[in-house]
Amino acid sequence: MQSYWFGDVKDGSCILFIGDPNAIVDRVRSISASMDSFIPLDWEQAVLCGACRDRTDYIGKLQAVCITAAERSIREQYSRKDAELLQMVRTLDEIDTVINLLSERAVEWYLVRHPAFSRKYRRIPAPVIIRTMREKSKGALGRVAGEIGQLSETRTSLAKEVSARANEVMPNTSALIGGLVAARLLSQAGGLLLLSRLPGSAIQVLGARTALFAHLKTRSPCPKHGIIFQHRRVHNAPRNVRGKVARVLAGKIAIAARLDYFRGMKAQDFLDAAQERIDSVAKSDEP
Amino acid sequence: MIWIGDVLVSQGEGGVYNERILGGARVWDPYRSKLSALYHAGTGIELTRSMRVLYLGAANGTTVSHVADYVDVVYAVEFAPRPMQDLLEISRRRRNVIPIMADASRPEQYAPLVEAVDLLYQDVAQPEQARIALQNCSFLKTGGILVLMLKTRSVDVRKEPAEVFKDTLDILQSDGLIVRESVWLAPFHHDHAAIVCIKPAG
Repeated sequence: MQSYWFGDVKDGSCILFIGDPNAIVDRVRSISASMDSFIPLDWEQAVLCGACRDRTDYIGKLQAVCITAAERSIREQYSRKDAELLQMVRTLDEIDTVINLLSERAVEWYLVRHPAFSRKYRRIPAPVIIRTMREKSKGALGRVAGEIGQLSETRTSLAKEVSARANEVMPNTSALIGGLVAARLLSQAGGLLLLSRLPGSAIQVLGARTALFAHLKTRSPCPKHGIIFQHRRVHNAPRNVRGKVARVLAGKIAIAARLDYFRGMKAQDFLDAAQERIDSVAKSDEP
Repeated sequence: MIWIGDVLVSQGEGGVYNERILGGARVWDPYRSKLSALYHAGTGIELTRSMRVLYLGAANGTTVSHVADYVDVVYAVEFAPRPMQDLLEISRRRRNVIPIMADASRPEQYAPLVEAVDLLYQDVAQPEQARIALQNCSFLKTGGILVLMLKTRSVDVRKEPAEVFKDTLDILQSDGLIVRESVWLAPFHHDHAAIVCIKPAG
């Protein structure tokens, strides 16, 4: 028997499936065809079956079913909890880029207006400079500085939201490396399912793409860490064990991501054991 | 294929992606579409009104919309939700585009929807492009044509594009396909090649 979207065909006879496009979508999803014995469908069987009148009718009905199916799949994919977190963390990182670019340019502009101003030997934090610029500058420059200030506020509140959402969507990974870094890993992998499918060795170098491909193509050394460098245990570790810490941490993240995807709850036993292992590696000085 | 001077065009409702209109027809830009590049860089295959096409890796539907202007029906398979949203918009305006949200390497998922086709067109950014093409050859009629757009960089960045090209040709031929044309798509697309095969009888 061959099952097609409009019905089942066996030895030239056909059993029509009756239902609206949504019911047909359910049917198509439930059919498990095997490609070994597969016979591509013939639209004329659908006419014999009584599913449609002619070719135009056939294509019209099939298109309606397929559009319904695709709309449903898109909705399902977007309703996954990690879909929005992905957009949130990418927006956050892009706001950072915008703030940096705009601040640099605005300071250059300010220097032309105030030739005596210099940041050297003065350690003025960026927000203070921006405020000074806003207060002391007339016209567009003042407004640009104002916009930078606003963006920074948006950034701060978005960062909090990202952390909170990451704790909810990926409780174990977030507990291990913090919500922001966890969310960045998620963004690089393209989703929680994809992250949970990555081996530790891939997680270790997520975000170090340029260095990784340089390594694969030429003889340059392999990167030791990507995004996970942002975790204090990695960047605070002594140079000689940093690679090892990164490797162990990445392995634990791989497990944590799988727990997050398949269990979705905090696994305290695992977290305690993982934390202990990472700490012990970071303290040892044998590479 | 319809040419106005040396510009490839297709006849259909315009304004899909702000394409240029020339003499009432839609200009099919070889720098945007690899299939159009094939017609400029090589021979390609003549698309006709009676053809049924299975299109793997439909993306935003830019090329799909042009193919649909020429043929009977296009089954457009795309995996990612974001481009699928654009493809759906095109399907709602074009009666002969059937959008299928599925993974091209899992043909059993969309087998109940797709009929036997005259042309299998594949443009996917996957390492195992040749294998995916062979898996989908079950949908291809005898004497039907496979057009494989080979993204050599997606197969293996470490290998030379020419090496990947040769390996892919070997895989296709060892499975019994007859290679009719194989051509690089430079200068329109770098490190991309087009391979045109025929599925022989038996």
